[in-house]
Amino acid sequence: MNSKIPEIKLSEEQTGKWGMVIDQDICTGCQACVAACAMENNLSFVGEVDAGYGRSMHWIRIERFWEGEYPEVKMTPGQPMMCQQCGSAPCEPVCPAFATVHSQAEQLNLQVYNRCVGTRYCANNCPYQVRSFNWRDYVRPEPLPNQLNPDVTVRRMGVMEKCTFCIQRIHKAEDKAKSEGRELTDGEFTTACAQACPANAITFGRIDQPESLVSQLIRKHGHGVKHLEELGTLPSVTYFKGG
Amino acid sequence: MSENFSRRDFLKLAGLGAATTAVLTGCGPASRFVRREPYMQMPEYTYNGLSTYYATTCRECAAGCGLVVRTMQGRAIKTEGNTNHPLNLGKTCARGQATLQGLYNPDRVTDPIQKARGTALGRESGNLLDWDAAIQVAADALGKHKPEEIAFLLGLAPDHLDDLVRELAEATGINPPLRFGALSMFEARATLSRAAENLFGKSGIPYFDIGGAQVVFSFGANFLETWLSPVSYTRGFAQMREALSKRRGTFVQFEPRLSSTGAKADEWIPIRPGTEALVALTIGRLAFELIGGALPRAFSDVDPMQAAAKSGVKLETLQRLAALFAGSPHSLAIPGGPALGLKNGLSVAEAVLALNAIPNNFGKPGGVFFSAPAPGQMESSRAASTREMRDFITKLADGDIKVLFIHGVNPVFELPAEMGFKDALQNVEQVISFATFPDETALEADFILPDHHGLESWGYQQVGTGTAQSVLSGAQPVVSPFYNTRATVDVLLAAAKLAGGAFAQALPYVDEVAFVQHRIAPLMRESGGPFSAPEIGAFSAYFQQHGGWWKKGTDLLPPNPADVLNRDLDQTESEFVGEGEFFLVPFVSPTLAEAGANKPWLQELPDPTTTVMWNTWVEMNPATAHDLHIENEDVVVITSEAGEVEAPVYLYPAIRPDTIAIPFGQGHSSYGRYAAGRGANPADLFGLHFNQAGDLAFAGMKVTVRKTDRKQALSRMESLMGVYGEGLGQEK
Repeated sequence: MNSKIPEIKLSEEQTGKWGMVIDQDICTGCQACVAACAMENNLSFVGEVDAGYGRSMHWIRIERFWEGEYPEVKMTPGQPMMCQQCGSAPCEPVCPAFATVHSQAEQLNLQVYNRCVGTRYCANNCPYQVRSFNWRDYVRPEPLPNQLNPDVTVRRMGVMEKCTFCIQRIHKAEDKAKSEGRELTDGEFTTACAQACPANAITFGRIDQPESLVSQLIRKHGHGVKHLEELGTLPSVTYFKGG
Repeated sequence: MSENFSRRDFLKLAGLGAATTAVLTGCGPASRFVRREPYMQMPEYTYNGLSTYYATTCRECAAGCGLVVRTMQGRAIKTEGNTNHPLNLGKTCARGQATLQGLYNPDRVTDPIQKARGTALGRESGNLLDWDAAIQVAADALGKHKPEEIAFLLGLAPDHLDDLVRELAEATGINPPLRFGALSMFEARATLSRAAENLFGKSGIPYFDIGGAQVVFSFGANFLETWLSPVSYTRGFAQMREALSKRRGTFVQFEPRLSSTGAKADEWIPIRPGTEALVALTIGRLAFELIGGALPRAFSDVDPMQAAAKSGVKLETLQRLAALFAGSPHSLAIPGGPALGLKNGLSVAEAVLALNAIPNNFGKPGGVFFSAPAPGQMESSRAASTREMRDFITKLADGDIKVLFIHGVNPVFELPAEMGFKDALQNVEQVISFATFPDETALEADFILPDHHGLESWGYQQVGTGTAQSVLSGAQPVVSPFYNTRATVDVLLAAAKLAGGAFAQALPYVDEVAFVQHRIAPLMRESGGPFSAPEIGAFSAYFQQHGGWWKKGTDLLPPNPADVLNRDLDQTESEFVGEGEFFLVPFVSPTLAEAGANKPWLQELPDPTTTVMWNTWVEMNPATAHDLHIENEDVVVITSEAGEVEAPVYLYPAIRPDTIAIPFGQGHSSYGRYAAGRGANPADLFGLHFNQAGDLAFAGMKVTVRKTDRKQALSRMESLMGVYGEGLGQEK
């Protein structure tokens, strides 16, 4: 193997750097996070027909399922689902163009848009189904492009995209801390979804620091769940189940 | 920004640079805005790559949450919540997030225009006016009619425009402004207020301290969706559920169709529509029997056995729920939503509010209060009930009103078609709209004098409910106006000056900012605010910088509980209008609400319960559909006594078999490319029946459902294979 490509460690203890904690008991499914993500990350809207084909560009979606039948029917607690920023991500090894790679510095799954050639192998291999593909150049009529966030690349047809944990915000906060000659403190910034959530169901922070808010919440709650953990993906998002 | 150099001062200086523009347009206010400059002439405080942030108020609904908008080089990039604002504490809902898609919407009204009524907006269908001519039109409308022939119809938000028109009305004798919105109709605000008046001897919207409650019984209140102040009530819900610091609160929802609020409940009671008051009183009686002591008059007449039979809720369930409610000192009962839109809606509101007397939570943490009055809030300034709107339309139809000004509301779409608003306009000589978007009502106007978008406007808004503090939320432009629009307050000030006489004397303000300063000036003498300043210029700058003014500490008022239970409460079931076999539950779309349909990203948000995007659907119980040989996405015609609506069926597992439901928010015929020609408007089904408080009995109908031979695919987020295996072709 080329020695320049770092080998991915597959160990049970490996934790990422950034992580998220989601309390499903208080998630109301209100879609504020979905809208906030779309506005922050320049997500295209695709229109009714393409949305019906499952081509909508949501980086985060709220899953809900039904249990039982009327009148004993229950909706399962809202489950915000976004890229789990796996420590050992199934999407990464299948990309022939190295467009989806692991960031050693941030411990995140990167998507390098200008490397992506649109094979969609990564989406096929993602057990969480959180990658969305630009099937077209989706139109934003003037003057809608005025609201585009200059910190985030606008993607074009044929490119895969997904949740980045708002990496532009991570970098901005890190740059600021660095220029002020200090360490980044927990809670100094957060992702767009966590910032908007009216119920405060989403918390973002450093899971590798035991004193951070996310780590405290995981300890306090005691029985957090990581989705499809049995696949060995080492996800960075911990869910507290409702009820 | 330095503390002794205010934003306003800066803008004054910036205005000197824009003097040419000011002379050409003959207006001061243009100089108040930060202009978009080419890179070569960048204003000195704007650096490439750095954002500036402005605090303002969200105008997507009438709640009045505080926003901080991130801007870059004169463009608004992202809305965030204002973390200091007591109402939303830094949080926003989906509509608040998408407000930029209104600001930069491709279908805004760009210029003042004179047009033929009923025609679509286009350069060929009308004459573009310049603002001088447009203001002359408004001035003539004011000056050349008798005061009693002039009326204003405003949106639901109690804002500075409402205050200005109220001042104008008091001084000149024109009709006082009517405030209305579809949300006030669906929330039945007049009913809530009247119920409070009957029980506590004082009218007003109650505030429910959900965050402090241990047991919450909600009768139809959709407080996690659009109800009154959804962001703050969602925070309350999260606090109630917060299991780490205390015992996790229990939440029970009583409603015939599981709403997205009900989906968060620990228990859903699919109560038979019309028996809400009966069930509430029965729970009251059973709870009192458990506690012991004399049965109060309010609960003494109900027969639990009969109530169980009528409501379809088992007696054991009622007893268990009564024990749950009686078992906590922090139980809370909330009336709202479609339960108040019944013909006996007032009885429902009274019965449910009376339940709160069991733990006697009135004025206590986790209980019922009167909302904190906002600074400057007047008792008389409340939203019109739907019956008052009908009376107003009668006046229009009779030709009593010669000039109608409309701002911030779209009655042609929002009111039931049966009410005949559009036809009544034929008897109004002149209709002047201030619409930002070419909505259905604007198209029926003779003139559109477009107001700025909310994010381009100065102003304030009284926060009517949702927080314990007394809040006046401040608004300032976060970007310069994108189009040739003008603030409605400025238009009215200029028009009143031109009209002369009493009008000119009534409004002696230089411009909108001067008026806002005049209104907030009394706050300088109030103590307990977040800032203080010796003179109005600085005070006003702080007001904009903080995003408003609020008092520290609670201003909630405790209701007087003395006579709540010492009265007869009505337990009779609601009557339903129409011959159909289904109860109809219309509900406000949680993502679109009444005015979100023109924002593409709101259209593409999945509905929280059905996950449908971009369209209208009819919810039907799968068992019922099976009996009627109706499948998913079959188009059905719903017929009420007032009209017909067509929409595809969504098999919804959590609705009573005798009930169907349909969301409100789509079905526009205009209102921009993303809204027009999409879905159906259930308001077309509403007959003119009112509850005892004058709110529309929109949920008091029985309708028929007829299957057509057409199918219409619904775009949805959930997998089509997911729910009943339809995608696999396994449907029976």
